[in-house]
Parts: sequence; structure tokens; C-alpha cells
Amino acid sequence: MLLPALLLLAAISLFPFFYIIYMSFNEVALIGGVDFEWVGLENWTLLVTDPDVRSSWIVSGIYFVTTVGLEMVLGIAVALLLHETIWGKNLALSVMLMPMFVAPVIVGLLGRFLVDSTYGLYAWFLDRTGLITWEILGSKGSALAAVILMDVWEWTPLIVLIVLAGLSSMPQPVLEAAKVDGANYLQRLRHVVGPLISGVVIVALLVRSMDAIRYYDIIAITTNGGPADATKVIPIRLYETAFRFQELGYAAAIGLSMLAFSILVANLFVRILKQQGLAR
Amino acid sequence: MIEKMRFSGRLTRRDFLRMSGAGLAGASLLGLAGCGEEASQGSSSGGMWKQYKGMTLNFISENTAPTSAIAANLKPFKDLTGIDVKISQLELGSLVQKVSLDVSSGDPTIHVIYADPYQVMAPFAAALADLNDFNEDDSLPSVPKGLGDFIPTQLAAAGRFADEEALYALPYDAPTMIWMYRKDLFDKYGDQMSQDLGFDPTPSESITWAQYYEIGKWFNDNADEVEYGTGQQAKQYDSLMCDFSNVLWAYGGDYFETGVQVGKIGTEDPGPAMLDQPKAIEAAEFYMKLNEISHPGSTSWDWTALDEAFRAGELAMVPNWHEFAAGVEASKLGGKVGYERLPTGPARSASMWGGTGLGVNGELSEDEQRAAWLFLVWATSPETQLSGLKSEVGGGTPTRQSVYEEPEVQKAQQRPSDMPNILTYEAVSKAWEPENIGLRPKIEEWNKCDTVIFTELSKMLAGDKSPEQAMKDAKEGFDRANGV
Repeated sequence: MLLPALLLLAAISLFPFFYIIYMSFNEVALIGGVDFEWVGLENWTLLVTDPDVRSSWIVSGIYFVTTVGLEMVLGIAVALLLHETIWGKNLALSVMLMPMFVAPVIVGLLGRFLVDSTYGLYAWFLDRTGLITWEILGSKGSALAAVILMDVWEWTPLIVLIVLAGLSSMPQPVLEAAKVDGANYLQRLRHVVGPLISGVVIVALLVRSMDAIRYYDIIAITTNGGPADATKVIPIRLYETAFRFQELGYAAAIGLSMLAFSILVANLFVRILKQQGLAR
Repeated sequence: MIEKMRFSGRLTRRDFLRMSGAGLAGASLLGLAGCGEEASQGSSSGGMWKQYKGMTLNFISENTAPTSAIAANLKPFKDLTGIDVKISQLELGSLVQKVSLDVSSGDPTIHVIYADPYQVMAPFAAALADLNDFNEDDSLPSVPKGLGDFIPTQLAAAGRFADEEALYALPYDAPTMIWMYRKDLFDKYGDQMSQDLGFDPTPSESITWAQYYEIGKWFNDNADEVEYGTGQQAKQYDSLMCDFSNVLWAYGGDYFETGVQVGKIGTEDPGPAMLDQPKAIEAAEFYMKLNEISHPGSTSWDWTALDEAFRAGELAMVPNWHEFAAGVEASKLGGKVGYERLPTGPARSASMWGGTGLGVNGELSEDEQRAAWLFLVWATSPETQLSGLKSEVGGGTPTRQSVYEEPEVQKAQQRPSDMPNILTYEAVSKAWEPENIGLRPKIEEWNKCDTVIFTELSKMLAGDKSPEQAMKDAKEGFDRANGV
């Protein structure tokens, strides 16, 4: 009964997966049809010795920790605020969620317009107030900060939504009992709310982490990995290797290393969920 | 003999026979779009054009002005051939990706390829058809006015790769970097600048890059009309390589020892890179020095952003692509801008040429390739190029010499001009001469080398590396990419 569905699933997911593994052990020529030449571990050896790829993993690491960290902190804070809001809660939530529905490439274009020194509103404001007088996307530190903030702007609402769902499903008697016992807001947050929503928070963390590793669109539109490789995260390097240099075998190895990283991160979070008894 | 006639700039033997045998055939060769409908009625030449009636061609192009002009004016081709053309316009990086996937698919769907000489032709030359086969085929129309009508340097740079005979593309567009400057400001401050700087700053062929630097610095310190004297397209991108290459060549440096040949015809074996040589390092040192007085936005600007900043009135002068002149003339700076060749250096004045040709996907069936050839002949014909020049959607600039000889085009070289790109003709025509044109290396691994050079330059401008170290690392990167 399930066999046709399983076969279809295998065709659309397992076949490409094993195909990419095979590609990673080959040099792939494109002209006149795909042609493989077996090179053994050459691509994998290059992957661990290539200083450019190492540098991209470092940038990805900085980006990953900063974006996911900021999104979690801001997302939880805004969700708690919205949860306590009585008037205009739905309107505030609707406005809050809007960035999430914008395509990342449009977020990149919007960000680039806003920080452009010729016609950007943010650039003009920051320059006039003396806060940032240099070119935001032209300097290493500020360029990385800018693309991180663009991602935070777009995806913090997702964390808000997930955490808000967790807050809404908290058992009210428990919260009321804590109030009756004289616990103040911070005490309730720490000893009641926190434990009750921790599972949801870890799920939010898992969802965003998986996505953050694949972050590509905004950087491709704004900085293209520059200046001085300051924003060249590993997906940009992967795209460049595959479609600019036509080194599909090596790109397959880079892609598989990203997959391995994703699986490691996912396993870490699932293990935490299990420890909390929230997952089987 | 045939080869000699092909380059003669006159009608070929076959063209002559056609014209004498059937008058309308000649009309179709010379008139093409304009006379196509008439020519196609019953003549042998008309039959040539109509033999693939009902077919649909897919044309993939970078998002450029000439293609926009063609897209807005496809009816003459449809009337002439009965062939429909679907045009996809993409950013160049996406185009390279699409072409690479198409030629490897085993079932290609792209017929006409915007064959950038460096990012498409060099790596995919084996997948492009040799156009000589079509041009010499009696059952197909040949290139009107012959291949010799194309500007010679452009025919070689856009059309050939590693072989002086094989022809993979017909020159289609010709963006070239020139010096755009605020004529109104040079008129206003010229005398004062002359006194302060000790030389006549009026842009001309004799101004050096060192003097360009002095002029830029002077504007920074003395003119309120603009924020900075100059700017650069120094984003970590292809634009940075283009911008730097002008200086590299002017200082006598080059990417490879046989740089001119590698740029013009291309090679599969370029040998070791020359970027660690003293002249290249000197060029890098100057480029970094120029960056220090340039608009701070330079390191985040590609060519489009630099042009926007210039049009917004932030800069007094820029090295810019000449095809942006139409936009400049339509902006608030209209009539206030002058055009000149780029400054000279210790070795020469060099202007980066960024033109492209149209090629035919050689992976297609024979009939599809022949139908695609019809489009190439039409799209690069003098009539279509002239039509593009007048297009309201902004055409490029012709790649054919005969178009520049048209009275209306010559008239348009002076203001008021209804073909604003032609205002740059005096500057670009000199820039296209063999001793002045700047041609980046046409090699299979150019995409890698390009990435190496603009990344190293970006690191240099960010202060991560000295010019010498950046050039040495770039040389190593080039050699690694080319297997040296």
C-alpha cells in the first residue's frame, strides 16, 4: 500500500542524495552532457585543507551564533511582551510578522537601498547623527553586522510566533497558583514560564539553526561575500564553486559538509529535548 | 580566398552571385529587417530566411540595453523569418549558471547564447558552434557587409577563443570604460586648478593617472558642488577587476606575459601569471592610493552603484562604462558631462573593453543551430544595430563600423543628440584601437582568476594586505587555478 509512495520518496530524495555523494568523489565535466571522472578522496582532501573554505566556515560560525542568538533573545522578549499585551495585540502581532513574509532576496534589496550612501535613508540618518560616517557595506565589520541585522529583522518574527504559541498553551491554573503564592513576574518567568516553554524554544532554535546554515540570498544581493571576504559564508562559497567555477565535484563535498553540520546541530537540540522529556 | 573575402568588408562572392541572380536576394542581405518582408516573398533569399518558419528560439542574455532594445523590436525578425524568439534576461552570474546547466543537460533548450568571452565563451567554447560553417553555407544568409564590417579588435575579442580561425560569436555589444567628468565643474574651476596644480587639468589623452589623482584630491578640498572628486567601482566583484585593470595596463603590468594575445584571441595555456612583477605592484600601490581619496562608498560600489553616485552629483569624475552615457544624459547632469579616454600611465592609456558576442548552442540539432544563425545575422546586422541605437528603451552601441559612418549617427556625435551613447564615440573609437584597448585574459579558468584578483584587491583595500602581498597572493591564485 505504501510502496508507491516510498518509491516516489526515494526517487525525489534518496537518489539525489546518493548522487551527490557519488559526485563528491568525481571530477564532473558538463559540456556535452554530465561526465564523471573518478578522483577518489581528492575533493574531500581539498575540503579540509582549503584555507578559503576554512575562512568561510569561520565567517559562517560567527554569523550563525550571532543571528540565531539575537533572534532567540529578541524573539522571546517580544513574545513575552505581546503575551502580556491586552489592547491591540492582534494588530501588533500582524505588523510584527510582516517581515517574515517578504522573500529574502527582497529583504536584501531593501537593506541595500537603505544603507546605500547615495540614496539610503538609514545611511543618511546614521551619517547625519555621526553614528556611522563610513560606508556600511564597504567596511568589513559593518558589512557583516548589516547582513546579520537584515536576517534578524526578517526571522525574529518566526521566533515570536513559535514562542507565543508556547506561551498561549501554558496551563493557566499553574500560572494563577504561582501568582496566589506571591511569586513576582521575574520569579514566575524563571520558575514557571521558562520550564513550560523550554521545549518550544528549543524547537524554534532548531528551526532557525537549520535555516541559518543555508543563509545565502541576502548576502548574494548585498555584498556578494565582500569586502575582503568578510561576509563570504559557506553557502556563498558553495554557489561560487559549483556555478562560477563549474567544480561540481568539489561543490558536492562542500554541500555534504554543510549537511553533516546541520545533522550535528539538529542532533544536539533533539538530545536536549529528550533530556527534558519533551521528545522520544 | 574565401577567408580574404570574408574580411574584406565588401560583399562576398556568394553575396554577389545572389544579388546578380535574384535582385531581391541582395535586398534582403543589405536591407534585412527593413526590407525583410519584401525580400522574403518568393525569392531564393526569402526562402533562406523563411526555411524555419514556425520555430521558436530561446535567447538567453545578460540584462543589457541592446537586448532590451531587441526585445522591444522583435517584429521585423518575426516578419522576416516567421520565427518566434523568447528572450530571457538575467544577471550575468545567473546566465553563466543557466548556460552551464543547459549544455550539460543532454537536452539543450537555449538556442542563442549571450556569449560573454570570459565567463561563457572561454569555459564553454566546445559547446558553441563554429559560425564559419553557417556563414559559408550557401543555403543560409551570410553576415551582411561581411565580417570585416565588425570593429576588428571586437571581432577577435568577442568572437574567437584559442584559435584564430574558428568563430564562436558575432560582436553584439561593446561597453568600454572611459573617463566621464563634470564639464561644468572643469569649466568653472579649470583656471584655479591650473594655478594650484601646475598643469592644465582639462581631461585629455595626455593627462596621467598621477594627475587624475591630483585633480580628484583638488575637488575633495575645493569644490562644494560634489562630495568627492572621484569614485571607484571597488566592490568585491567583477567591477573591481575591471577598474583595477585599467591602471594595471597603464602602468605596464599585465596578467600574463603574452597579455595582448591572451586578451585578444585567448589561450588554453596562459603560463605563469605576472602579477608579482614590479609594474603590477606599482599599479596596485597607485590604485590603493587613489582609493584613499575616492568616495568612501567606492568599496561597496559595483559599476551600477558608481554610475548612480555620479548621476546623483556626488562625484566630479569617474572611470565609467561608456554605455551609461545615455542614463547620464537623461539625468540632471544632462549636457554637463564630458567624455574622454581614460588617463594614461607610464606605459599607455588602456580602456577595459567589456563587450560580448552572440553564439549558437552547438549541442542543438542542426536545424535548430541554423535557425539560431538567422537570428544572429539579423540581431547583429547594421540595420538592427542602428535601430537599437535609436530605441526608446536604450540600446547599446554598434559593433559595426558602417553604422558609425551613417550621416545621422555622425550628426548625433554632437549635442543635441538623440543617440546619447554616440556622444562618447570620439573617446571609445580611440579606445578600441589595438594599442589602446584593454582586454582581460580569455582563458578557461578566468572565472577563478577573476575571483582571485578581485578578492585580493578587496583585501588590499580593506587594509588586510599590502599591495605587494596582494599581488603576490593573486599570482599564486592565478597559477593554482591554471595548474602552473
